Amino acid sequence: MPALSIMLWLPAACGLLGALASSLLTRTGEPRQADAGEHPAGMAWSTPGVLALIGSLAALGLSIAYIADYSSGGASLQHVTDVVWISELGIHYKLAITGLNVFLLGLTTLLFAAATLAANIRSGSHPPDRPRLFYFHFMLAESAVLGAFLAQDLALFVSFFDLMLIPFYFLIGGWGREPGRVKATIKLVIYTLVGSLLMLAAAIATGVLAAQQGGGHITFVLSALHALPLSTGSQEWIFLFFAAAFLVKMPAFPLHGWMPDGYRAMPIEVLMVFSGVLSKVGAYGFLAIVLPLFPQAAVHFQTLMLLIALASILYGSAQAFSQSDARLIAGYSSVAQLGFITLGIFALNPQGAQGALLQMVNHGLVVAPLLFIVALLSQRAGGSEDVREMGGIAFRAPVLASIFLIVALATLAIPGSSNFVGEFLILLGVFKAKLAIAIIAFTGVVLASVYALRLFIRAMHNRVGRSVDSHEIGLMDGVVLVPLLAVIVFLALYPQFALHRSEGSVKAAVSQAFADGHREQGLPLAVCSKAYLKAFNTRPCVTGG
Amino acid sequence: MSATTYGWLVLAFPLLGTLSSALGFRRLQGVSPRAPGWIGTGAIFLSFLASLGALIELQGQSPAHRQIVSSLWNYASTAGIDAQMSILVDPLSVFMILVVTGVSTLIHLYSISYMDGDRGYTRYFAYLNFFVFSMLLLVLAGNFVLLIVGWAFVGAASYLLISFWYRRTTATKAGIKAFVINVVGDVGLVLGTYFIFKHTGTLDLLHSFHATAAGAFGHGAENGDLVAGCLALLVGAFAKSAQIPLHTWLPDAMEGPTPVSSLIHAATMVTAGVYLIARMHPLFELATSAQDVGAIVGAATLLIAGTIGLAQTDIKRVIAYSTMSQIGYMIMGVSVGAYAAGMFHLMTHAFFKALLFMGAGSIIGAMAGEQSLDRMGGFRKAMPFTYGCFIIGGLALSGIPPFSGFFSKDEILLVTAERGGWHWALYVAGYIGAFLTAVYTFRMIFRAFHGEPVAEAREMIESHPPHLPHAELPRNPANGEEEDTDVGFPGDGHAIAERALPMRAAMAVLAVGAAGSGLLQIPKVDFVVDDFLKPSFGGSSLYATHTRNGLLVLGLGLGTVLGLLGIALAHRIWVVGGRDLKASSAIRARTRPLYELFVNKWYFDELIEMLLIRPAAAAGAFARDTFERLFVEETLIGGTTGIVRAGSAAVRAAQSGFVRYYAALLVLGVAGVGFYFLLQS
Repeated sequence: MPALSIMLWLPAACGLLGALASSLLTRTGEPRQADAGEHPAGMAWSTPGVLALIGSLAALGLSIAYIADYSSGGASLQHVTDVVWISELGIHYKLAITGLNVFLLGLTTLLFAAATLAANIRSGSHPPDRPRLFYFHFMLAESAVLGAFLAQDLALFVSFFDLMLIPFYFLIGGWGREPGRVKATIKLVIYTLVGSLLMLAAAIATGVLAAQQGGGHITFVLSALHALPLSTGSQEWIFLFFAAAFLVKMPAFPLHGWMPDGYRAMPIEVLMVFSGVLSKVGAYGFLAIVLPLFPQAAVHFQTLMLLIALASILYGSAQAFSQSDARLIAGYSSVAQLGFITLGIFALNPQGAQGALLQMVNHGLVVAPLLFIVALLSQRAGGSEDVREMGGIAFRAPVLASIFLIVALATLAIPGSSNFVGEFLILLGVFKAKLAIAIIAFTGVVLASVYALRLFIRAMHNRVGRSVDSHEIGLMDGVVLVPLLAVIVFLALYPQFALHRSEGSVKAAVSQAFADGHREQGLPLAVCSKAYLKAFNTRPCVTGG
Repeated sequence: MSATTYGWLVLAFPLLGTLSSALGFRRLQGVSPRAPGWIGTGAIFLSFLASLGALIELQGQSPAHRQIVSSLWNYASTAGIDAQMSILVDPLSVFMILVVTGVSTLIHLYSISYMDGDRGYTRYFAYLNFFVFSMLLLVLAGNFVLLIVGWAFVGAASYLLISFWYRRTTATKAGIKAFVINVVGDVGLVLGTYFIFKHTGTLDLLHSFHATAAGAFGHGAENGDLVAGCLALLVGAFAKSAQIPLHTWLPDAMEGPTPVSSLIHAATMVTAGVYLIARMHPLFELATSAQDVGAIVGAATLLIAGTIGLAQTDIKRVIAYSTMSQIGYMIMGVSVGAYAAGMFHLMTHAFFKALLFMGAGSIIGAMAGEQSLDRMGGFRKAMPFTYGCFIIGGLALSGIPPFSGFFSKDEILLVTAERGGWHWALYVAGYIGAFLTAVYTFRMIFRAFHGEPVAEAREMIESHPPHLPHAELPRNPANGEEEDTDVGFPGDGHAIAERALPMRAAMAVLAVGAAGSGLLQIPKVDFVVDDFLKPSFGGSSLYATHTRNGLLVLGLGLGTVLGLLGIALAHRIWVVGGRDLKASSAIRARTRPLYELFVNKWYFDELIEMLLIRPAAAAGAFARDTFERLFVEETLIGGTTGIVRAGSAAVRAAQSGFVRYYAALLVLGVAGVGFYFLLQS
């Protein structure tokens, strides 16, 4: 297998190459824009676009190869690349495939490939202007996301996490839809900036405090940090800093304030990857970074996190069945779905975490096509994305209706979909951890069926909307959707494919928190909590097993 | 071939049928207008043949080896769960697949003519095959996960079929209602599975039953988790089988084409809850309080639905409430341990109820879509075949000997009475229900077929084409909106049995079943169903042949007398009382409050609307209009004091663009934090 760095940097390289090549080839730099206006089908292949597509497809091929090559069973790092980056600070450029990231890499490359294709064809609307810059940012974003998933060094993870946001600021600020573009960009910058700074501080603190603990060299390599557990008190505030950053990214209630404006403003292909992939980086951070490094804090804040997750589920669902903007329905449904994922992670047991990881992949797989379908619907409803303007689109578009139906059913996690398996595991985990929360969370399952079907019915069925002019899905639009659909169906038939490969790593990731949680429960509650409150700096309630 | 191979084939044919209709929709109708119909029917018929194969194979085994599990691949086994792609072939599941595929084949056959000319002909058969596939998956599932999958697919398929004419807002409303209530049922099933899994540690059905028998829930007193689990399973059963209070979707589901009502809402889908309780009997027998809840709800449903059936005027809704009531008998039966009787009634009911719905479809076809009994009358001469079928179905439903319903219903009540104690109350409720059944059934028959022929019936007698010209713009009688001729709507030239051979053939076979299938199990004579199902109920303490003679004679006599009395009363009111409904309006005037209660369906819809839907909608509107604006937008980020306002002012002041500002802040932040920790160390 080629080194991981190749997959990691290939997209960015293609973006850069595309920008340079097209500058050299055409002076004016924006070729055939006028042509595109004359052809309503709107196929406007540009050099940067094609190169970006090639790069994203190559990355997709590599990630599939890594999935095929993944040897399941243990929790060991595979295909490790480890180079000292900044030796004074103990920062390594360390990448590896694990059971936690192997499918998220596949998801990332798949969604970026689909979104790049979507950007290239842009059926019905104009292609992105300034394509060189657009694709450069877009591909840089892909590399940064891949980097965040691959990083096995805390400082490297933070770097990629921040790098990932910068191209998105440009993409929203430069290519976002009016009105509200500027407002959306400002909101996104400030929310994520605050989160990033908190996380940065927390990461540095982790390294420094761990070095004190170990009495030796400062290091940020995750495997080394695992061996140097922090004191409970430090774990707790560091946990909160990380949690803030990740919860903003997901987004979770009540930190979702950037989401409505952001969703409305983003170009659809940007939104596909933003909603499908970036939200997962936050959840992945909890699972891969926070739980192994700060297990006691995770146990300490378990109830808080579960309640935040529950609030996200209920609030997101209530919004999703009340909104009329189709994008916001998808957006708030993501808030609810990410709530389920958080719920699974903070069940702090293998079932919940397995379900959460599977659900990260599943949610990305359904929300990206859902958003793309929203764009197709708006083309057929006179440009409006308001479900009140839609209706009756199914009649002349049976294929589109069927695809939409499958995606909608997967979104509501109908049993038989892989989303259901994820939800089943998540809720089983929570059921074991906190029965009452699991029972309330089931409300979210019912509400999901309301908002997903409501979206489907309001768009495809009922009376024909005023300016609706329905027609069948185009071939290229089908090419964007069908691969995603194929993966959805494959995972629905054989979820074990993903579960089997991730099991070892997931168990390892939650094992410490799971053990800590049980040690705590091993003692009478009063004794335990008293000891806990009295002595933050000593490990509480250790009874040796 | 082994029994399980046949089992997989039973699943494969309908799935192939669905896929070929769905993928070939553009070409199939080019070949022949009815090609999708014949393909769909053929797929289900092959599945029926495979079911027969499974039956023969299974009977070739010794009784102790008649529970066979076969797994194709590992579906999800991680972190302690063990879900295989596995089916369980045993007498109970084979009984179910025989009933499902047999009746479904006939309904498909009927649909070939009935749906002829509908714009969505291919789509219809794709959905119908998918529905049968889902139902078969449900009954063949070898573990809880696959059971839930089949359970939910049935819900999804019923949604698709109910809102088949999707431009009618009444149909889409009924569809989403059915779907959401079914999801409530799914949730119950999942939760019940968790409670059981917690103790047995397995998701495989047989393994968990064995673990239960071995004491996974302890011995002696009832286990709280087991009762909770069984109650949660009951929620699933109630939602799918339209038991109170989760029944409100069933009458609305009559928005679908009439054969769909026949398939989903009489013969198969609603029986899933009965199957579930029978299948889970090793658990329920240890959770007697849950059993009691099931029995009481079943009894309440059979009474309440019977009273509502008395007051409805839509012919399909009368039959729908009758279905609810009959399923109530079955739920009550399997909850008191009358497993074989419950399954027996499930089978006979499948025959006569499918037959009644088909007959109703035929009349509705003759009435050009009109479903109100108020507009019908005198079709006896015009539609002798339909009338004959209705009479057979009606007599079977009313429990008149020797028709099939007589034997199956009385056997349920017999076993109930043998439990003794408070079960006698259920027994009495059952016979009151039997009387009500006879009254509403023959009210429907007399009003539709007797009396003065209406214009449509007269035209048919004079053998004109059966369709009166439509009004210029047909309208949906429920809400007055214009019908959509693109997508279709009920009554747009549908066939009637007298003029379509496939419809007649299907109804004739069902009529034979409705009349004669009771002979399978005649008290003290033969016990075909009892004996056949026995291996599936090996560990049951309640499964026994019942021999108390006095009770038997009392029950059979009571059933006959009450049924005949009910018919006589209906005759007195609606035939002797005259076409102008003088007698019935007099009764209505005297019992005004009761009538209001019945005709408004005991106000269940209003109650659910008030308690659940309005609060949820209000919460959603509050979140959207008030909370999000005031809290998230204003306080947290916007407004004059919000973080974003402050931040964006800072950005403007810096006059340097976001990214430079961001980069600078990042560097400053890093430096600051680094400095702090350097000082600390």
